[in-house]
Amino acid sequence: MQDIKRVIEENNGKIVVEHDYFLLVEVSREHVRKLARALFEAGAYYSTGVGSDERPRNGFFAMYHILNHEESKKYIVLKVEAPEHDLRIPSITPEIEGANWAEREAHDVLGIVFEGHPEPERLILPDDWPEGVYPLRKDFKYNEKVKPVRKEEKFVEREDALVLPLGPFHPTLHEPEYFEIYVDGETIVGARYKGFFVHRGLEKLAEGRLTIHQIPFVAERICGICGYTHMICYCQAVENAIGLEVPERAEYIRTLLLEIERIHSHILWFGVVYHLLGFDTGFMHAWRIREKVMDIAEMLTGNRKTYGMSLVGGVRRDIDEDKKEKTLKALREVSQEMKKLFNDVLAMKEILNRIEDVGILPKDRARSIGVVGPVARGSGINTDVRKDHPYAAYKYLDFKVPVYNGCDVLSRYLVRADEIFESIYLIEQVLDQMPGGDIMVERFEVPEFSVGVGATEAPRGEDVHFVITHRGSKVYRWRPRAPTYNNLPSVPVMLEGEHLADAPAIIGSIDPCFSCTDHVTIVDDSTGKILFRGPLEDAIRRLKR
Amino acid sequence: MSSMGRLRMLIDSLSHPRVTEKYPYEPIPIPEDFRGKPEIDPEKCIGCAACARVCPPNAITFRDDHEQGYRVLQVFLGRCIFCGRCQDSCPVGAIKLTKEFELVSLSKDDLYQVVKLELAKCIRCGKYTVPYRYIKYLMEKGPKILKYELLLCPECKGEIMTLIKYHYAQEVHE
Amino acid sequence: MVDVLKKSIWVFHLNSGSCNGCDIEVLDVFTPRPDFERFGVKLVPSPRHADAIALTGPITRAMVPKVVEAIKALPEPKIVLAIGACACGGGIWHDTYVVVGGIDEFYKILKEEYGMDPPTTIYIPGCPAKPEALIYAAGILADIIKQKQRRREDVIREEDEEKRKIETIIREEIGSRHFLPKIIVKRGPKEGSV
Repeated sequence: MQDIKRVIEENNGKIVVEHDYFLLVEVSREHVRKLARALFEAGAYYSTGVGSDERPRNGFFAMYHILNHEESKKYIVLKVEAPEHDLRIPSITPEIEGANWAEREAHDVLGIVFEGHPEPERLILPDDWPEGVYPLRKDFKYNEKVKPVRKEEKFVEREDALVLPLGPFHPTLHEPEYFEIYVDGETIVGARYKGFFVHRGLEKLAEGRLTIHQIPFVAERICGICGYTHMICYCQAVENAIGLEVPERAEYIRTLLLEIERIHSHILWFGVVYHLLGFDTGFMHAWRIREKVMDIAEMLTGNRKTYGMSLVGGVRRDIDEDKKEKTLKALREVSQEMKKLFNDVLAMKEILNRIEDVGILPKDRARSIGVVGPVARGSGINTDVRKDHPYAAYKYLDFKVPVYNGCDVLSRYLVRADEIFESIYLIEQVLDQMPGGDIMVERFEVPEFSVGVGATEAPRGEDVHFVITHRGSKVYRWRPRAPTYNNLPSVPVMLEGEHLADAPAIIGSIDPCFSCTDHVTIVDDSTGKILFRGPLEDAIRRLKR
Repeated sequence: MSSMGRLRMLIDSLSHPRVTEKYPYEPIPIPEDFRGKPEIDPEKCIGCAACARVCPPNAITFRDDHEQGYRVLQVFLGRCIFCGRCQDSCPVGAIKLTKEFELVSLSKDDLYQVVKLELAKCIRCGKYTVPYRYIKYLMEKGPKILKYELLLCPECKGEIMTLIKYHYAQEVHE
Repeated sequence: MVDVLKKSIWVFHLNSGSCNGCDIEVLDVFTPRPDFERFGVKLVPSPRHADAIALTGPITRAMVPKVVEAIKALPEPKIVLAIGACACGGGIWHDTYVVVGGIDEFYKILKEEYGMDPPTTIYIPGCPAKPEALIYAAGILADIIKQKQRRREDVIREEDEEKRKIETIIREEIGSRHFLPKIIVKRGPKEGSV
């Protein structure tokens, strides 16, 4: 712990706020690159970046870089400021790869220019958005409709290849992404993508129309598969900003629902992967078993997917003995049936051959890209927010974190399979040990301009929310960062040297959730998904036939 | 060896009992606390519009119609997210989430519920203020509110307050 | 009611910026327990093969031209299933800067800029819409069940008796404070001294 503070102070950083969850460090424009480099070498990885318009407060624009230092169990928030007349900040992307998209996004919505950024292009706003209009500035209203600037959609021609447009609607794509593939015969020689079709403007909505108590409902609808994690993460960020203690019983109920969401999400993933491998029987069996988990959720919360159960300060509904028994009974059935399904599938050589030794992500690359969740655990990295920065009731519970060293799709498969059974074990402990007491803190004060960081382990990995509070029940800035954001850049590395027919399973193995990566884009290729243009094109060109 | 897994899978699938539900020919079981369609009970509603203020997607809206003298509360089910905040914030329990989920309709008009409550008139200037039901509620159960304020519109109330202070000051002076 | 009796409609799934909750339910309705295929419904890969479009999501600005293309490609008679709160009315994001705001706002754009009349639309509220609600919609189209949800309007008027009672109570209170009757005097709606 002392080491990291020393590293910060040696590199001209000033620690302004010290909290058990995070450190807020102010640094000037001249020294930000060096400090970021020093922190990366000390073992932190880049979590996310947030731009903010703070002119009403002190006349400056600010950029917050958030890094995760697991060793000292803290998040480090670097704050850099720039005045309006000289809106330039040195980019830290040349030092840390992970900052690429965060800086492009801050440029799109606020107009901050990052000097030295390798690819300063538009990332999230729609194509027909005019230049020079920055939505997240405080003088832009959240419901202002800007006149579209229609541009001619042209294909970028190439001499050596044929252009094939794909998307945004395609039978293999569940979400809208657009792609132009350059093909030379059957080989893909390049790709051009465009995404962010799911950008809905929710950060601005949270600042504009909504109060601090209504934002959990928006957070839940960021994603329809891992929505509850976002709701809890936001509540935790605000609770950290205010310094609010949540009653113990509420923490246990939150843990219960988080684990139920993990089970349903993993079983959903198994169904989708079986479908991508052409094994529809497995898809139907997995989703049949999943219905039982959805029934439990409906009984406990009133809705199959959008649980709507948590607010800042606690949870909304309690759980009684009858519901506990029904939950345990249903989970026992789920456990038995999933064991049978896994045993049957793992005895099928056809499936194993397609996922073993395929899609390799070496451990050192995984660390430098900053992947999270089962993708990291499948490559031998022992990282899990539930153990590194314990939250909710995890500090009182006993569970293992499965880590496999195979670095291939089979390892990620086994990690998720083990996690289902660990989650069922966790739920049994929660229901057994749940204490009595209140479930909600009724009244609390919200100080103005307080910074908070919340993190949870979503089914896909680490989920981080950043909040700055404001007076009058409103929020000054809110930034959700979903786990798929960090996992996407690993796909080109995994695709290198693989057969094209394995691409869907490889891309599916990171469990991409496009809608989560919300403001971001994800792009797809002919069958699955793609990400970065540059490294991806290189990877595809090197694909062996 | 590899055919064992396939064979087991085949036997499991063939011997598995049928799971398909009989809906829509038979109803499906709905749990107790299910969050379905929100419905206002017009007999209980007092027109305070607390539900409209907390609704995140603005599915519940209200406007005061000063031509006809009604407060119009409108619930648009198309935009409702079934969160239940309206139910939590209603002081009299007039709006509740039912177990209804079969809300499919062929025209948008069918997705509305409208409740119109008559507005009271200010006894000083005659303009419309708040619904009569709301005044009755405040008189019976409201916090310690000065009753003479209830039938005054906001402007008259402001003027009266100033004049009262003036009068008190005068009396004390005397 | 839909003009042509539609059984076994073939559906093209179109996600125009949704959070995936409703999309997962659209996929879920084809799994063994709900089993949409009992009604002959099938998911098809192209709008040219489809009878209906299953639209989810509040149509984002980036998607408007693509959704128009998809609707144009649908052969007559067209049906659009607006699934979920986002498609029916814009949902929680009905008025942000990058969202059109639901299928009806989209039809206005369709009429003004592309000159097309809106197709038959079936609204399926819910967040997310339950798979059984989708089956209900198919049942309505195939004439197995009738629509239940109807507009409801109630007008509550106070009886004169009640109004008089309220006024009496309040006037008594006013009378009990000695200086108030001088101030609270009935006056006309225009400005003037008391």
